[in-house]
Amino acid sequence: MKDPLNQRMFFLTALLIAAGLLGAFLSPYFLQASTVTYLLQYVPVLGVLGMAQTLIILSGGPGIDLSIGATMSIVGLAIAGLAANGIPILLACAIGIGLGGMLGAVNGFLVCILHVPSLMATLATFFTYSGLALALTGGAPIGGIPEWFGSLAQGRFLGIPNHMWIVFLPLAVVLHVILSHTRLGSHIYAAGNDERAAFLSGVKVWHLRFALYCISGMVAALAAIMTISWFQAARADAGDGMELLSVTVAVLGGAHIFGGIGRLSGTILAVLIVTTLQVGLQLANVSQAWQLATIGILLIGSVITDNITEDHWRARVRKRSNQS
Amino acid sequence: MENTLKKSVSRPITVGREGLLLITLIILCIVFASQSEFFLSSRNLTTVLRNSVDLSVICAGMTIIIILGGIDVSVGGILAVSAVMIGRAYQYGMPDIIVIPIGLLTGAALGYGNGLLIAKTRVPPIVATLGSMYIFTATLFIVIGGVWISGLPNSLSFLVLGSFAGIPSGVFVIAVVYGGSWTILRRTPWGQRVVAIGCDEKSAQLAGISVVRTKIQAYALLGLFAGVAALLYVARLRNVEVNIGTNIALEAIAATILGGANIRGGVGSLLGALLGVIFIKITQNGLVLIGVSSLWETVVIGGLLIAVLAIDAFETRRTS
Repeated sequence: MKDPLNQRMFFLTALLIAAGLLGAFLSPYFLQASTVTYLLQYVPVLGVLGMAQTLIILSGGPGIDLSIGATMSIVGLAIAGLAANGIPILLACAIGIGLGGMLGAVNGFLVCILHVPSLMATLATFFTYSGLALALTGGAPIGGIPEWFGSLAQGRFLGIPNHMWIVFLPLAVVLHVILSHTRLGSHIYAAGNDERAAFLSGVKVWHLRFALYCISGMVAALAAIMTISWFQAARADAGDGMELLSVTVAVLGGAHIFGGIGRLSGTILAVLIVTTLQVGLQLANVSQAWQLATIGILLIGSVITDNITEDHWRARVRKRSNQS
Repeated sequence: MENTLKKSVSRPITVGREGLLLITLIILCIVFASQSEFFLSSRNLTTVLRNSVDLSVICAGMTIIIILGGIDVSVGGILAVSAVMIGRAYQYGMPDIIVIPIGLLTGAALGYGNGLLIAKTRVPPIVATLGSMYIFTATLFIVIGGVWISGLPNSLSFLVLGSFAGIPSGVFVIAVVYGGSWTILRRTPWGQRVVAIGCDEKSAQLAGISVVRTKIQAYALLGLFAGVAALLYVARLRNVEVNIGTNIALEAIAATILGGANIRGGVGSLLGALLGVIFIKITQNGLVLIGVSSLWETVVIGGLLIAVLAIDAFETRRTS
């Protein structure tokens, strides 16, 4: 229990149970088996975005990708537009993932090659991408997705939505293995912990971060594909608010905003907490405004507690080293 | 290193940037004027000026925050909540003498809250203000309930819509705000402290500057400016829309960066920021006049911001 990250996981589990209890308290419909399926329907989109955001934050810099939601909107529109013009949907998805990677590479170029602070660079691309999504479509949704494609996000296997099986779980496993069992993963942590030390020990810090921004764009494309399959249409505002939510789950999950500290499992727990809260508030018919406020408070609260626990931890380490 | 630092502190206004901006602005105006004869009419230019008053006021505060090395993406939320408070106060029949302090205090208090959060708990400003933006937006929805507040009195309208000695009164408002901000920033010890913190927070702390207090005061000042902007907004439109203030944070940041402020802090120019505001507003107005859908505004401003960031980055690389 000494390890602050383990403490974090403990805290998150408690928070998840609290969120579940709150949902049960607010709405009589919450404690039903169907709620779990309903809840898991929401998890994969935010889940993959949160994991991508966690990787970017972990790699330090300080890194952040505020354009992740806007990338998702614009890629979704591109895929639906291609499909509506007679291009097979799977090919369109592949092109979409490529496009996502390219949009991510724009961020990578600005941040890692020009060394514009990531916050500013991705804020600028966020507005450009979301503006483009709105301007190119005039706000009208694009339909015309083949019906069979809906089975990705609407179908179920063993009561769990298909996109959970096909997209979220494989991605989570792959990223987890990379992060905690490969050299690449330790390079990401090293870059986030101490950029200079990592560079001097031969880690190509900026190449690594560039690749992560591209991956973030491609993951945003995956989120777009799941959303299209779910709603059978692409909307210009599909990814609105996702930038904040993905940062929220990453930070709530224990990723330190300046990099180097964090775990994917924390992010996934945080996604479950946020989704449980949202579903609970929805079932209780609480207005959208309160959901926004809850997430805002959760974000600020989690960063504050993060800083406080870190201070305590540092103080303890210092004390121990003084004693010895 | 010391030399460049000294240079950037003592001569933060790069003549090149403002001159460049002015030249681009003039070229832009010529292009728009050649495409639309209505563009250069005094009526259109007055409209542009009236529309830019709220953004200009916020931009003065944003420049100070960016020089401090911070950022605030929640100013739109502060503007919105202040405007709602003003609107509600008017609806309860309160006179101007009470409504004005309510608006200003709401803005300053919300900004103070942001500052407290950022300075005391060392939450990165972007995360803190993203979070508070969502709380402010939620507050707006809860108070306003999705319905416009409209039909407000026009007792303050002269501040934006009136004119004095043939000059639109917005000019005077902007002059007072920018004159005041410039004096505070460049002619008081407090302004020196802001610049010092923006250049190097640790050294400023070691030199005995109360970093926490200065930061809180700067964010409160930006909040106060957002409150002023809310008053001007209500005076101009006499209603409060549901989606008030959604884009103003980006516009303010874009204008400040366009005007030569460095996002890493320490460097910035109030005059440049004002030129940036005019640039953005002229672009928006001109695009509509030459028949481009207003949906493209965000794309153009975002693209412009990317271009300026890239140019700045090239320039720093060349000089360093």
